Amino acid sequence: MLRATGLVKSYRAPGGEPIPVLRGVDLVVKGGELVAVVGQSGSGKSTLLCVLGLLEDADAGEIVYENVCVSALPRSAKSRARGRWVGFVFQSFLLLPSLTALENVLLAARYTGRDRAEARRRGLALLDELGVVGRKDHYPQELSGGEQQRVAFCRAVLNDPPLLLADEPTGNLDDANGAVIFDALRSRARAGAAVVVVSHRPEAATGATAVYRLRGGVLEA
Amino acid sequence: MLRLLRGYAFAIAGIAIGVAGVVALGAMSERIVRFIEGGDRFVLGQISVAGRGMGMGAGFTAGGLLPAATIKKISSVPGVAGVQPQVMLPLDPSTSQFMTLTQELILGLDLSVPMPNRYYRALPVRAGRFLRTGDRRAAVVGAAFAASRGLGVGSRFPLEGAEYGVVGILERMLTAPDRFVFVPIEDAREQWVAKDRMLRTLLASGAAALTAADLNTGVAVGWREGEDPDAVARRIMAEVPDVNVQLPSELSRLLRASTAFFAALLVGIGALALVIGGLSLANTMAAAVFERIRDFGVKRALGATDLDLAREVLGEALAVTVCGGAGGVGLAVLLGSSIDAWAGRSGQQLFYFSTRLLTGALAFSVLLGAAAAAWATVRVVRLSPAEAIRRGA
Repeated sequence: MLRATGLVKSYRAPGGEPIPVLRGVDLVVKGGELVAVVGQSGSGKSTLLCVLGLLEDADAGEIVYENVCVSALPRSAKSRARGRWVGFVFQSFLLLPSLTALENVLLAARYTGRDRAEARRRGLALLDELGVVGRKDHYPQELSGGEQQRVAFCRAVLNDPPLLLADEPTGNLDDANGAVIFDALRSRARAGAAVVVVSHRPEAATGATAVYRLRGGVLEA
Repeated sequence: MLRLLRGYAFAIAGIAIGVAGVVALGAMSERIVRFIEGGDRFVLGQISVAGRGMGMGAGFTAGGLLPAATIKKISSVPGVAGVQPQVMLPLDPSTSQFMTLTQELILGLDLSVPMPNRYYRALPVRAGRFLRTGDRRAAVVGAAFAASRGLGVGSRFPLEGAEYGVVGILERMLTAPDRFVFVPIEDAREQWVAKDRMLRTLLASGAAALTAADLNTGVAVGWREGEDPDAVARRIMAEVPDVNVQLPSELSRLLRASTAFFAALLVGIGALALVIGGLSLANTMAAAVFERIRDFGVKRALGATDLDLAREVLGEALAVTVCGGAGGVGLAVLLGSSIDAWAGRSGQQLFYFSTRLLTGALAFSVLLGAAAAAWATVRVVRLSPAEAIRRGA
């Protein structure tokens, strides 16, 4: 499902000198696999995930989703590719504060042209599955951290994306809620999605098909 | 939609305040413009002729006595189409006349002659009727005059000891006639004699062979179709001795010169209002977009294209600026009307909320708001989704 080859990414320091983050990362994740990427803070794990999910362009390298070289697509096509192929779970949930839990979930369907009624049915079912359907009309600020991340997870999987990218998905959660999210991620992989989890938690490796360590801008098995 | 607008409550309030400022200042400008334009239109519609010398006459009839024989001569000048004898007097002669533009005046009209003024063949009557031939001790009053004295049709009020009945009230014209009292010329002549001790003494002495028809402070002169009014005025000057003739174009130029300061002030006020209101509006709208930079990052992560975001932002900007603009217009009208209700007791009107001003202000707020939102959106969508999410965190 995902093939990344020779990814290079660096940022500019305020003085203008480049700060290399990725120095030629290669990664292949097939459907049904859950890959865990671990590493120290600042090692570039989040950057790798952003580049894999087309949230940021790499300086060099190639990203292919299902035989489509998406890294070479123009901006709008990249946006559409994200909507079609990728689901994101962020550490800080990133729910829109002006929308209710259900509306946040349904936001994922807005840009993919999905049927509204069908998306609503699916959204409610997901919220029910994650145990937060009773909170569907609540705003993010009225939800606990665990509840927010469950809602964010529902949003990430609403469109059944073949690629799920999770950036420290349990970073702001207690152990119990963290376990719920990890279970849900494993369940997605079992359902056939390619899942990449970036985390510093050891539980991330539990049930993972492969575990990589990002060190010095390079992935080590 | 309501939830969306609630989310933008501060932006809407900010825009409303900016637009209210623009509209209020604009309405004051419109008020002054109407006053100047009304006067200009009046003087361009007739040739005003007064007797040579100094006398009681005020405004465009200021000058000496204009006897009936002189009026007859004016009527026979080629190109002249109609001559209406008039008596224009200050309502209160003790009042300083240096601010004649806002002075309360009595205008006596010879009702046997149609109004020669091309732009004021008939004055707009809001209530009652205009004067008719044969009326005596009857008055039609300007809107400001009526408001300042609480007069309505059927009211009576004293002029130099005589009771006058109000038969009509004019529409508010936002120019000089708002403060006029129109009476039949016969009544105005009586007023004149009552007000002017020197004239009274002269008439009593019998030294001057004057009849009532000679008591005129001026005439309004019309011209035939195809005639150049300035040329007709020059002809009157040349052919009729002892008269002060105002060339319409010259009077218009004089009026504009005397109000040039106000005109410049208006331009300044308008420019200032647009700059301040515009900056406030644009800044509020752009800030409202930048505030949501993280939301845009999230939406792009979910598959929104630049076009999707631009459409959403412009739609929201439109709703917000229409609400803010309408709120601002409403606020300005409410404030202006309240102030005018208070000022109206002394016959003043400070604001004129013309349709062109209100639609212009609304269009201005919507266009500028949309432009500011579009500019902010372009800045935001240039960022990568990851950068937008990071900056908005």
